[in-house]
Amino acid sequence: MKKVKTLSGNTLKETMKKGGCGECQTSCQSACKTSCTVGNQSCENANR
Amino acid sequence: MIHQYRNNGYNIVMDVNSGAVHAVDDVVYDAVALLAAEMPEIDMDGAGIPAELCGRTEKRLAEEYGYSAQDIADAMDDIRELVGAEQLFTKDIYHDYVIDFKKRKTVVKALCLHIAHDCNLACRYCFAEEGEYHGRRALMSFEVGKKALDFLIANSGNRKHLEVDFFGGEPLMNWDVVKRLVEYGRSQEAEYNKQFRFTLTTNGVLLNDEIMEFCNREMSNVVLSLDGRKEVNDRMRPFRKGAGSYDIIVPKFQKFAESRGQMNYYVRGTFTRYNLDFASDVLHFADLGFKQMSVEPVVASPDEPYAIRREDLPQILAEYDRLAVEYIKRKKEGRGFNFFHFMIDLNQGPCVAKRLSGCGSGTEYLAVTPWGDLYPCHQFVGQEQFLLGNVDEGITNTELRDEFKLVNVYAKDKCRDCFARFYCSGGCAANAWNYDGSITGAYEIGCEMQKKRIECAIMIKAALAEDEE
Repeated sequence: MKKVKTLSGNTLKETMKKGGCGECQTSCQSACKTSCTVGNQSCENANR
Repeated sequence: MIHQYRNNGYNIVMDVNSGAVHAVDDVVYDAVALLAAEMPEIDMDGAGIPAELCGRTEKRLAEEYGYSAQDIADAMDDIRELVGAEQLFTKDIYHDYVIDFKKRKTVVKALCLHIAHDCNLACRYCFAEEGEYHGRRALMSFEVGKKALDFLIANSGNRKHLEVDFFGGEPLMNWDVVKRLVEYGRSQEAEYNKQFRFTLTTNGVLLNDEIMEFCNREMSNVVLSLDGRKEVNDRMRPFRKGAGSYDIIVPKFQKFAESRGQMNYYVRGTFTRYNLDFASDVLHFADLGFKQMSVEPVVASPDEPYAIRREDLPQILAEYDRLAVEYIKRKKEGRGFNFFHFMIDLNQGPCVAKRLSGCGSGTEYLAVTPWGDLYPCHQFVGQEQFLLGNVDEGITNTELRDEFKLVNVYAKDKCRDCFARFYCSGGCAANAWNYDGSITGAYEIGCEMQKKRIECAIMIKAALAEDEE
């Protein structure tokens, strides 16, 4: 593509297949304790 | 759903439903805006963008915007390619998914242990009321903590990683119990095939070499509370007799961060109406040598003088922009740092199930008081209507638990059409309760800040990706 740089492709839909294992960190346990921030966490699904 | 914005010279187009994010030139940016106004989502069973709409858009790009025929043709080619790859104008396909999701059996995977309802500081904004949480001063006994860990193991299903945060008040005021609980947790790991991730949130007053060494061995993360510049910190985080805490704490935190290899910790501050120029506090942390930091808006009753007001938003949003520009500059100069709210994982981030369910308060995540009562999270502790049960009997108020289970972005009217819904996952239930009177409400001032932080985080990705080319 000449005019587009894709920073992230179509990923959300794909995660419906193998997602939901629940091994990832609970968001409030990370740093915040006052605001929910989920998008910055990493997936820990070993079978992803 | 499309969300697009310009920030720091970058044109960003987000296709919210697929999670795709694109940095584009002006022609594509304007073309997407024209198309999205008429056709926000495309059914992929159809034939892509209707030819008639393409023709009308091309005509407007030429006549109203003055773009050349070649630029317009290239832009439309790129857009068609993205549509074909399901990275633009995609539909929301998660509504049905979330219905199944509500029926799921939840497990408990994280506890916030209120190891001490007591504190040696008297922070003016403390939601815990100087550690007492609308109640009495108390320290958690080892026996209560042990029951909490047993409860966690018993209710965690197949989940291997269990998280336990030692919180307060100030947990170092009950340090011996912290150590014994870590030891107890470790002793249970092999038998139950679990792995504990212990974390500690501390104000640092009692930190010493022995504690640091223990934490470096046992704690997967530590959160170090400090608000930033000396005058900012000392105004809001004094000792009980009024003296500031900055001078005592900063050297200890510097030593602690260094001893952990500048990883797996956060220096974490709160900003209030008194320091709306909080980017200076973040940069102050960086200047002190810290590499991992977070500075977050105060949670306060709107009638407090330090509470953030709606009219403060323009300045706050501009501060995030200012911080983002400096953040990129320092990264490029090789002296970068991580700011919690600018970290975003666009490619290996959470699955959609996680993004829909949010923080997990009241279901996966519970707070435990010193005497063993269970609450949906630390922010609800002491509010009797949110009492869920206790470590002896487990969750007894299942009706309340089920209310929390239903909290997701589709249950929240204000989230349904928001571009940020898969990044913040509906925000903080306690904030929603405090400001909107409902756990499925929204704290709109917080939402505006969250949206800006996401925009900055993505712009930063675009800026740093440019450098990698």
